[in-house]
Amino acid sequence: MERRDFFKFMGATGALLTGTSAQAASHQPDFDPNEGVGVLTDFTECIGCRECEWACKDAHNMETPPLETYKDKSVFAEYRRPDENGYTVVNRFPGKGCGEIDLDVKVQCMHCNDPACVSACIVGALVKQDFGPVTYDAWKCIGCRYCMVACPFEIPAYEYEVALDPLVQKCDLCITRLEAGQVPACVEICPRNAMTFGKRGDLIKLAHEKIAEKPNKYIDHVYGEHELGGTAWMFISCEPFEEIKFPKLEEASVVRLPEGIQHGIFKYFIPPAMFYGFLGLIMNLMKPKSEELPESETEVHHD
Amino acid sequence: MKKLIPVFIILLACWSCEKERTYSLPQDTLKIATDTSAHVFSMESSATPCNTCHTCDAPTVKNPCLISCPRDKSSHVTTGKHVPDEGPEIVIIDQLKKLYEPVIFQHRLHSSMSVMGVGCSACHHYSPEGEIPPCRECHSEEATSTNLRQPSLKGAYHRQCLNCHREWSHDTDCDVCHLPLDKTAPPTPQADKTDIIGVDHPTIHIPEKQIFKTPEEKNTIVTFHHLEHVDLYRYRCVDCHRDENCSQCHEGVGMIKSFGDKLEMHHSPCSDCHNTTSENNCNFCHMQKESKGFTHDLTGWPLSRFHVDLTCASCHPQNRPLQKLNKTCTACHTNWFVGNFDHGVTGLTLSESHEYFDCYECHLDEQYNQPPQCETCHDYDVIYPEDLPGERK
Repeated sequence: MERRDFFKFMGATGALLTGTSAQAASHQPDFDPNEGVGVLTDFTECIGCRECEWACKDAHNMETPPLETYKDKSVFAEYRRPDENGYTVVNRFPGKGCGEIDLDVKVQCMHCNDPACVSACIVGALVKQDFGPVTYDAWKCIGCRYCMVACPFEIPAYEYEVALDPLVQKCDLCITRLEAGQVPACVEICPRNAMTFGKRGDLIKLAHEKIAEKPNKYIDHVYGEHELGGTAWMFISCEPFEEIKFPKLEEASVVRLPEGIQHGIFKYFIPPAMFYGFLGLIMNLMKPKSEELPESETEVHHD
Repeated sequence: MKKLIPVFIILLACWSCEKERTYSLPQDTLKIATDTSAHVFSMESSATPCNTCHTCDAPTVKNPCLISCPRDKSSHVTTGKHVPDEGPEIVIIDQLKKLYEPVIFQHRLHSSMSVMGVGCSACHHYSPEGEIPPCRECHSEEATSTNLRQPSLKGAYHRQCLNCHREWSHDTDCDVCHLPLDKTAPPTPQADKTDIIGVDHPTIHIPEKQIFKTPEEKNTIVTFHHLEHVDLYRYRCVDCHRDENCSQCHEGVGMIKSFGDKLEMHHSPCSDCHNTTSENNCNFCHMQKESKGFTHDLTGWPLSRFHVDLTCASCHPQNRPLQKLNKTCTACHTNWFVGNFDHGVTGLTLSESHEYFDCYECHLDEQYNQPPQCETCHDYDVIYPEDLPGERK
């Protein structure tokens, strides 16, 4: 067997092994995301007061100018993203489907049911809690920033300005507030209750009820119900989500296939063991016959 | 030294494991609304009548027959009839008096504006018969409600006010309504409310008639007698001005919303009453010159003082086009008999001796607009109107 053929053969075998393993280890979350908490944001209720931005910083002990300064609407001139200095931002889009009023859109971590960042994190610093939030453990983080690449919503931000101990930062659904029996800070401060905090399953029901009641007001799409296997934070809007810079995503989770393959290969370490065993076998079979010299001759030679 | 490295690594691993945080959710204290109908009234503190929440007289645990608080259209809450004038002049909202000056809400001003919208129910989405309950009776002051469908009091207020205010002024700043307590701060332009307190909405000017020129070949003129439709036919503004809002006037868009370019849309405000689809009907509105408008005199039945205030439908209940009616009084007034008809309203109070006669005994052949025939009972020396069967006022 030539070297090239060997690689071809091994590639095919590997692919076969991987494929079967991936199927065997099909991804199954061990909790019901609909029983966890979530938030439903109704963009038609958002007025762009940006009090949520202030409340978020306040709740996370970040430096923030006083609330009064958030009246400034000039920030809407350019499109902003959540970053390490603010885990949530409100952007304003000119309303087309919403009548004569502009549409204000609040974005933050979606807290996916099947988060790509958690899957990408090689040290387990990001964890999907079974009751909803995706949390970050700074002690474990090694700063590889794979999570930033993995996130389809471009949410995790990195403290590039910090020289010694830079962290990845993102919305944590105010988990410390949740533990203290409070709702997330942005939900609490919103003057129009544009955000509804509750069980994800109930929120999906509520969203569909709202759309059914006012079919002319809303577009018939609950963003986050199915996107990438669903997210804890969901949205309803009067404008198609592509128009307000929400990525158009498929329903299947992005992490399902790669995670299935990866975990499949290394499950109980059997496939690698088999692989190397197989490799050893081939090496053994391919030992050149010219080296098989009679025992006596060798001894004689030594002597 | 080399032997220490694995030990050090193990220690490091243990140390980092120790730092791992676990989270749990306090189900009992966290306000998670679990059910959309979980709104609970306290039986002791609330004087809420049972039928505010229950559809049946005897709710049980198994069958509580709950109506989910008012926004739900399917609930069986009876909506009472309310008029803008019955509400208070101003409403002072001072839940945040520690932070801001109280909000002075010009209720009368807003209620008089509501006639161009859907009326009181534009804000009072829950308006049972009798007194309209205040917002805080259903909407809790807690930051988050226990009912997913129900915004908190803060949410409810802001949703009501800002729905319109952001549409016509595009100004959503807090100090439009909430004036700062700090008097040293420079006053905002919104601070001075003296000019609008106690002032009704300016009378909405209703044009007498509007003349439209259409691109038709022959009959180019359509006259719309606007005032006539309001005063005579008693149409409410919203019957034609549908889905209009404050910004329609306040943004200078103009009083009249364009009804659309398509023929059906263009005709839509008229189509409910006038047949605009039949081709034989065009000339009813489309004319060569301005139309004169309608008075009941043209039908040969000038309306008396008793009938002038009635709506068309109270005499012509059938579908349009309206039919000519039998002019005999009893054709409509089928419930008038001796004893329940006060003859005094005609200006003539019957004397005791005439009070108990049947109507037809004086008014022959039910001709009530003709003078009565006295000779059926009396001799020819008693003649109406020289001799009256009672006293004229």
